[in-house]
Amino acid sequence: MKFLYFVLGALLSGIMVGRYTSLNSGNLSALMLYLLIFIIGMDIGRSKGLREEIKKLGRISLLLPISTILGSLLGGGLASFLVGTPMKLGLAISAGFGWYSLTGPLLAQYSPLYGVIGFLANLTREIFTIIFYPVVIKKIPKELAVSMGGATTMDSTLPILVKFGGTEITIIAFIHGFILTALAPFLIPLIMQL
Amino acid sequence: MNIFIPLFLGVAIGYLFKERLRMNLDKPLSAILLLLIFFMGVEAGRVEIDAASILIISITFAALTITGSLAFSLLLGGRR
Repeated sequence: MKFLYFVLGALLSGIMVGRYTSLNSGNLSALMLYLLIFIIGMDIGRSKGLREEIKKLGRISLLLPISTILGSLLGGGLASFLVGTPMKLGLAISAGFGWYSLTGPLLAQYSPLYGVIGFLANLTREIFTIIFYPVVIKKIPKELAVSMGGATTMDSTLPILVKFGGTEITIIAFIHGFILTALAPFLIPLIMQL
Repeated sequence: MNIFIPLFLGVAIGYLFKERLRMNLDKPLSAILLLLIFFMGVEAGRVEIDAASILIISITFAALTITGSLAFSLLLGGRR
């Protein structure tokens, strides 16, 4: 739990620095991400019984992304009803599954405002996953709670899932994120063309 | 898909040097994770938000998509 305070501190101080200084972090976050993914990969490679772990996952590795898709679209539909945005936009935003750098530009093709909302809503999903995953796994099985991260569970939120959920969560989180990452670029334009 | 390069490289190195790589990776992982979150925060902080309503809409979408995903994962995955 103590580490969560460090996470929140790092996130808040980063936001403050970004907001009130002209510091340009450039590609540092990408570099950190690649380094983390490398270490996680190394941990997977040296762990024993990996094959058994993948076999054990079985059905859940497919059920989890399906749950995330259905749940995100339903949540997005409900959100658009509550805040009064067009239903099509709401579904398209939720079909980003947290991938803000894709959803923002894709929706900006239809309207700059749509782009901003698509970007921020998905960025917020990622931030909420970072903050709340450690809390949610106290109530919900850690492998099922992976669904909250959407497409980001294969990259940016993977380290936090592994840190709090354990190394055994890596494969399921990666497969989950991979499937959603593969679907989002098709699903968003498809919904907008309906 | 640059993410695959460090991942597969890490898996390969971890697998090939399984016996030599016995050190605890928890501390470097935590340190780099905090740096990553800090820099992600810097990027998020640089996004100018003029209207509070856009922020409220974004938070509503994020909260409900996460809640929906968790509810469906419990509904489908919980019955394994």
